[in-house]
Amino acid sequence: MGLRKILALVVLAGSCLAQENPNPPNRKASLAPRATQSAIQRPSEFDQKRLQPAPSLAVAPEQAKEAVPRFIAWAGASNVKQREDARRIIAEARDNQAVASAFCDEALRSQRTDNSRSLLALSILGEMRSPVGQECLTKLLHQPFPEKGTSAQGEIVEQTALGMLQGKAVDGLAYLHTRAADEEVLWAAGKHPSRVVRAEAIEAYLWNHQDSEEARETLSRYIRPDEKIFLDRVRRDPGDSAEVFNRKLAVFLKAHPEAAAAAPQKYPRRKAPPSSQQPPAR
Amino acid sequence: MNFRKIALCVFLLLLVPLRSALAICNESTASQADLDLWNTHGCWQDFFLWQYQAYDMSSDDWGNRGWDDACNVNKEYPKHWNASYLVTYGLADNWQFSFHGTEDYRGTAERWDNNYHDDIYHSPTDDTSIFGQWIYHFFGSNEVQTSCLLYDPNLAPNANPGSRSGDFMHEGWHGWMDLWGWDNGSCGGHRCGPTGNCTVSNCDYFYFHGIGAYAFGAMWQNDGTANRFHSPNQVQVEYLCDVADFPQWWVPASVRLAAQADANTRASQRFINGPGYFCGDPRPW
Repeated sequence: MGLRKILALVVLAGSCLAQENPNPPNRKASLAPRATQSAIQRPSEFDQKRLQPAPSLAVAPEQAKEAVPRFIAWAGASNVKQREDARRIIAEARDNQAVASAFCDEALRSQRTDNSRSLLALSILGEMRSPVGQECLTKLLHQPFPEKGTSAQGEIVEQTALGMLQGKAVDGLAYLHTRAADEEVLWAAGKHPSRVVRAEAIEAYLWNHQDSEEARETLSRYIRPDEKIFLDRVRRDPGDSAEVFNRKLAVFLKAHPEAAAAAPQKYPRRKAPPSSQQPPAR
Repeated sequence: MNFRKIALCVFLLLLVPLRSALAICNESTASQADLDLWNTHGCWQDFFLWQYQAYDMSSDDWGNRGWDDACNVNKEYPKHWNASYLVTYGLADNWQFSFHGTEDYRGTAERWDNNYHDDIYHSPTDDTSIFGQWIYHFFGSNEVQTSCLLYDPNLAPNANPGSRSGDFMHEGWHGWMDLWGWDNGSCGGHRCGPTGNCTVSNCDYFYFHGIGAYAFGAMWQNDGTANRFHSPNQVQVEYLCDVADFPQWWVPASVRLAAQADANTRASQRFINGPGYFCGDPRPW
């Protein structure tokens, strides 16, 4: 056999082996990643420097278009220690229609390109409890829900994207505590095409009405019969200790034995290659 | 053997790495949440030089996806280690409040053969019919793939570090199922749906447990019954909930908001015996 043919066969044999071996030698010999930017020291050394004060929203109408993106940039980066500062500044801007309108514009502008930014803008707008905000959130809630789109592991991605934003809109409407806004929330709880939004509406209505019996009765007139279990859904409030949460869970499981999970199922552990990988009988 | 055929095979083999080099996600942008988290650590070289080993990542898979531009947050590899940063450092691990601890989540996401799974490595895919998948390999490490849906904010709301690392948990937990010999169903490792309270086609059960039911480091434990067990979507929801509600103080609001939205979305629609927990409260901010 000629040398060229031997070499070619070696290459071919190597390719067959590579398909069976997901860890060819060059995985282990991989070069390290590298960056063109300068490396920094430990991030914790910069934590305090990043604690910037919140920018103001007390601006004239013509300044709103600049002030709002500045505030969104600060708010997105803000941490739990700055939450109350953010709430205070947002509440103070309640009557600033230009600012509220600019938050609405930002939420709608980014809804298809950056869901996390749109969520941020909607959260701020909802927290503001502004009449302009109510109009915007209602408009978003009634955006047509897509019936088709990119299917990924059992969900339509465009539905999930809009559902998350409409869920955030419902949070803002429920927080307004106005009759008109509550009507929108109740509509969403029973009639919105998305389970995600209906679930959020139920939770938001309950929470904003102190989980009262009256709120539960009102909701039960609107929600779908097969979604009544959502009235009892266990919520992990941020302030709940383990004891409080565990008590809620115990009450839920006692009231809903159907929520017990089925017993897990075993399968035989693989001990041999699949039959297709066995050599032919001699 | 015909020498021309051999030459053709060699030529085709050479095309394989070229094909993978051409396919990448949109590298022109990053989500607000990715940018905000990135700004908490910047180009921290010591971390990514540890991370690529801890997740068994290689230039073969990530070479054209930011491997040599590891601090460009628009690219896939930097986004991947941005998400790992959240897993590694971002949780408060408060035994009074958190579902599980960093030890559990790191154990699920990282490469090591441990109580959570056999060896795994992380690779990318352009297949947008999935967010990610766990692939069994009889020889060598099993594989955790993450798709462009987790990297491109124009494609999906999950292109943020919380959801991306949540998928590390989800796929890693399929590895746990495999390690411990559990059959979670025939629809991509899930029960086929819609069924019960699950409204999508890939469904799980939610194995409800209280806070403190699992010591940190014990999430892997199971006793053969539904009393001590987790499903992939459940681990993902509990992780996202912990990111949203009990993170380290410096975790940005945009990351927490996105994690909460993802957790509650999944909890509402992916569980046969759902709904799963509602994370946090519905106050807008």
